[in-house]
Amino acid sequence: MKRWLHALAVVIIVVLAVGLYKAKTDASKAAAHVRELESQIGDAQSDLRALRAEIAHLESPARVEALADRHLELERGRQSAALPESAIDRELPAPSTRQRPNP
Amino acid sequence: MRPFGPAAAFAADDIDVAPVTQAAPARGGMRFLALGILAVLLLLAGRAVQLAFSGDPLAASRQSSGVAATVRADIVDRNGVLLATTVRAYALTAQPARVWDVRETANALLRKFPELDRATIERRMADRSRDVVYLRRSLTPGQREEVLALGLGGIGFEAEDRRVYPQGTLAAHALGFTDVDLRALAGVELGLDEAIRGGGAAGRPVRLSLDVRAQYALESELAAAATRAHASGASAMLLDARTGETLALASWPSFDPNQAGAAAANARRDRVGGDVHELGSTIKPFTLAMALDARVTNAGERFDLSEPFVIDGRTIRDHERILGSVGLREMLAHSSNIGAARLALRVGADRQRAYLDRLGLLSAAPLESGRRQAPIAPRATGRRDVAGIGFGYGLAATPAALAGAYTVFANGGARVTPTLRVRENGDPVERAPVFSAATTQQILRYLRATVTDGTGKAADVPGLEMAGKTGTAEILGEDAAYDEARNFSSFAAVFPASAPRYVLVLALDDVGEGEAGGTVAAPAVGRIAARIAPMLGLRVTPPAAR
Repeated sequence: MKRWLHALAVVIIVVLAVGLYKAKTDASKAAAHVRELESQIGDAQSDLRALRAEIAHLESPARVEALADRHLELERGRQSAALPESAIDRELPAPSTRQRPNP
Repeated sequence: MRPFGPAAAFAADDIDVAPVTQAAPARGGMRFLALGILAVLLLLAGRAVQLAFSGDPLAASRQSSGVAATVRADIVDRNGVLLATTVRAYALTAQPARVWDVRETANALLRKFPELDRATIERRMADRSRDVVYLRRSLTPGQREEVLALGLGGIGFEAEDRRVYPQGTLAAHALGFTDVDLRALAGVELGLDEAIRGGGAAGRPVRLSLDVRAQYALESELAAAATRAHASGASAMLLDARTGETLALASWPSFDPNQAGAAAANARRDRVGGDVHELGSTIKPFTLAMALDARVTNAGERFDLSEPFVIDGRTIRDHERILGSVGLREMLAHSSNIGAARLALRVGADRQRAYLDRLGLLSAAPLESGRRQAPIAPRATGRRDVAGIGFGYGLAATPAALAGAYTVFANGGARVTPTLRVRENGDPVERAPVFSAATTQQILRYLRATVTDGTGKAADVPGLEMAGKTGTAEILGEDAAYDEARNFSSFAAVFPASAPRYVLVLALDDVGEGEAGGTVAAPAVGRIAARIAPMLGLRVTPPAAR
């Protein structure tokens, strides 16, 4: 009986040793994978920061105002151009009457 | 042979005592070995159980990689608009031992980067005593690709961080800049260096109180006013006076913090928190408030300001003679030097200094913009000094300090310290009492009269109830005498007068004779207020509705 117990103990030791080695190897591989992923995340976040900077630059008020001046023929609202609500209808062009096509 | 166990003991019964006494240590050794193996077995089993039940050992590293840790945090405005960030850049390097032809390589690099100094890069590339030398810092990914396409032997790159300011010149003085190693040199980069580094490590941005929309309006109108008045420099600051938050802050001329090294020192100068000037008449509202608060005058008192006021041999005159008997309202609206000097003398040197101290005009404004210039405020030694301070001479402070002092008119007589950091909901606002609420309410009415009937008419914007005070201080010339042809002209506004909330201070430095605050600064303040009113939720009254 004891001989069997001894043999079982040896088997358990070997299994545990092999299992531990495998677990350690898997952990090392996983850690390397994590490092690689972290590096990729870092790169992606760096790209993201650069893109956010570009968006902020493209949306900067000075640039938008210059583009609006150049392409939209709009100008900044002036105090003298402001109207009270009661005068808006008078100043706006009359809405055109839409002709309904005959059925 | 059986190494251990009862069978071995039975076998020993048949032999001599001597061999038994020799076998006993061997059995003990075997038992010891067995115990050792058992202990190792238990250790292994215990570790296996621990690993099985201790959760994910990689969770910690995953958590740490979940945030974008950088050396310096992003800086954003109060609405989250990006003002400064850190992006990947590259340092251009060379391995001298691997550079085939120094001259040819230098020619190729100079075609891409004409600003490089040929002698310097040739000397570095020829220095074989060093493994790697730096040729240029902060290359963009695009520039790196261009250099790679040249196929130059021995030329390489090192990844590094670069600070960029995507809004360009906008809020340049407030933001400041860093050097190529990301060490803070100016602006909030310097003033909030610790918070920015902490935010970088935690992956969260630092939020300023600035609003880029108001900032742009302020900067463009300030530049227009400074150019029109031929000023040598200009500054402006817009505060939410209830909280002390700085909504916009600008100095002129400006610069691009992305190329701070290429900008002139004059353009890089933060004039709001860093330049001190004698404030001129913008200090008069405080003189009147001191007199009312100290009960050395009252709202019903009448003054004869028609004759010059002579004090210790010095004659004080008004810019325009004020005839008849006038009250405090007219005294302030028409910016009387004589009236302010007389009231200052009634207040006295000690009380005057105590009030100035409580107004924050005797210490540097603790703005987080890096440059905090202490005022020039010598103790008044005679009646002339006290009178001079009463109408704006003999005390030099920054526009930031002046704006901070004007917050008393929006807080029932208490001063709020200006800040560039946004106040989160629930952040307490520290209010330092200076005057009584009744006193500031009275002065606020006079400030409104200054705009409707006095020297500040050009700042009026229908619907915004502008109140404020003009200031024109002659600048000291090289011969230590005041030069009439050179003025520091300013306007300090509080609006809307019926529910004061915003303070706007604008100053133009070194403008010519006749370019008074009411002529050059007040119109610019009016234009700025009209332009930013919609951003602040205020409405300009349309002309047809008046």
